[in-house]
Amino acid sequence: MKLTIDVWRQASDETDGRFVSYTVDDAAAEMSLPELLDRLNSQLVEEGEDPIAFDTDCREGICGTCGITVDGIPHGPEPHTPMCRQHLRSFSDGAHIRMEPFRSSAFPVVRDLVVDRSAMDRVVASGGFVSVDAGTAPDADTRQIPFDMAERALDFSACIGCGACIAACPNGSSHLFTGSLLTHLATLPQGKPERGRRARGVVESAEEEFGPCSVYGECAEVCPAGIPLSAISAVNREAARAAVRRNRDD
Amino acid sequence: MSAPAPARPSGSAPVTRAGHRSRFSSVAAKYIMAITGLIFSAYVLVHMIGNLKVYQGPEAFNSYAHWLRNAFYPVLPYEGLLWILRVVLLVSVIAHIVCALILKSRARRARGGARAPSIRRRRGLGLSVFAGRSMLVTGVVLLLFVIFHILDLTTGTSPAAPDGFQAATHESSYAYSNLVDSFSRWPASLIYIVAMLALALHLLHGLVSSVYDLGIGVGSKARNILAAVALLVALVVALGNITIPVAVLTGLIS
Ligand code: HEM
Ligand code: SF4
Ligand code: FES
Repeated sequence: MKLTIDVWRQASDETDGRFVSYTVDDAAAEMSLPELLDRLNSQLVEEGEDPIAFDTDCREGICGTCGITVDGIPHGPEPHTPMCRQHLRSFSDGAHIRMEPFRSSAFPVVRDLVVDRSAMDRVVASGGFVSVDAGTAPDADTRQIPFDMAERALDFSACIGCGACIAACPNGSSHLFTGSLLTHLATLPQGKPERGRRARGVVESAEEEFGPCSVYGECAEVCPAGIPLSAISAVNREAARAAVRRNRDD
Repeated sequence: MSAPAPARPSGSAPVTRAGHRSRFSSVAAKYIMAITGLIFSAYVLVHMIGNLKVYQGPEAFNSYAHWLRNAFYPVLPYEGLLWILRVVLLVSVIAHIVCALILKSRARRARGGARAPSIRRRRGLGLSVFAGRSMLVTGVVLLLFVIFHILDLTTGTSPAAPDGFQAATHESSYAYSNLVDSFSRWPASLIYIVAMLALALHLLHGLVSSVYDLGIGVGSKARNILAAVALLVALVVALGNITIPVAVLTGLIS
């Protein structure tokens, strides 16, 4: 199939970017979006041009490294699917595809389609973890966790940290990401001793890095991990709980 | 707690943060918006039910308006209940609007304004998506409407109020004739109808939003129920009120 691709080219955060139009004549329906960009890049290298910078790693939807905005939708047209698992079969022959970086104030463009998502790392670093002794793996039965609780924690821990929810949000808010982090750690017994301290740290950091939530629901529409929209309510819930319990750690 | 932030992976540019550093958190602002919004929702629902007394005739409606002023007398002074409501509603509306503006400006900044053009495109634009996106517009319409409404039927200030407006006295109320006089002017009726449509949209998103803002986890099934309840309340409040100017214009009430 033949495709016309408008790609955002930008040398760095300090310079202005613009769309540049390219054509790929030998694209195939079974190619994924990163494969299409690989194909285009070898074309560009042959022509002596700079290849397009973009992020991917696992290319199987588990690492959260990939992420671009395709035709205005973070990750692309296939719902709940990371960019690396989006395929050209979603497009028709002769289609015009627009690719640009994830857009949000918190995500400065590093180059072309690559953005700096370290704001999300700073949120995690402010308490979004469990301080356990990471020695040898404990016996699986030492801590009993009811099935429903485990399932709930797993649903909310599915976040791959891609940042699509933030790019989709008209407010530049990270509530789906922050809420999924807080929910799964607050659900499991290992996360409970630091529950209050974590909520204070994570919510304060998220407010410094991202926008407020208006419950638009755009985030859950694009999330490749299928994090449910109810995650966003955990931000206010956990913050209020921690505020009421004052200086308690749990 | 202050864990060291990891270094910026690329370049050496200083970290620019998209959020805010104010001591007034967005979490607090959202709780205030949700609570004041729910106070308003309860008020508009009760107010609408009271308005429907107009269908029981002039005596019933006027005596209801009169009762509002004399309720719980002598425990409360004349207009005591009314003034309590007015103060609560005024404080609520100011808090609601101030928080809305603070959140809106934080949201603009975090989205990135002109630097990051708004490029998201949602699959389909349903009524609830539209209601969410138009909160600022419907909110401003409601504020203007509330001002008009008070000038029209409470203070009787022209040109908002009808010519024959009669203020309430300690002995009696003329709410019924004031209302009929006002709605007999079709532009006034139109303002009420448009404002009620704005209210329906504002309630539709506001009621759903306030549940999330209060930190209540809503599963996908519960979300459908919540959306249906919000739609029902929004329609009942708006349509209940809209019947009144329509009834006056069609001569059903005179
Ligand atoms: C005089 C009446 C009202 C005015 C002037 C008003 C004004 C506003 C404005 C300007 C916004 C926009 C906030 C934003 O864009 O983030 C807003 C949002 C909101 N309103 Fe109202 N409002 C009124 C009545 C109500 C009522 C009756 C409710 C009932 C629930 C309500 C609930 C909400 C909620 C929950 C939000 C938050 C939505 C968000 O997060 O964006 N408001 N209001
Ligand atoms: S919540 Fe979903 S969209 Fe947001 S960072 Fe996690 S996986 Fe990506
Ligand atoms: S590259 Fe790992 S999720 Fe897409």
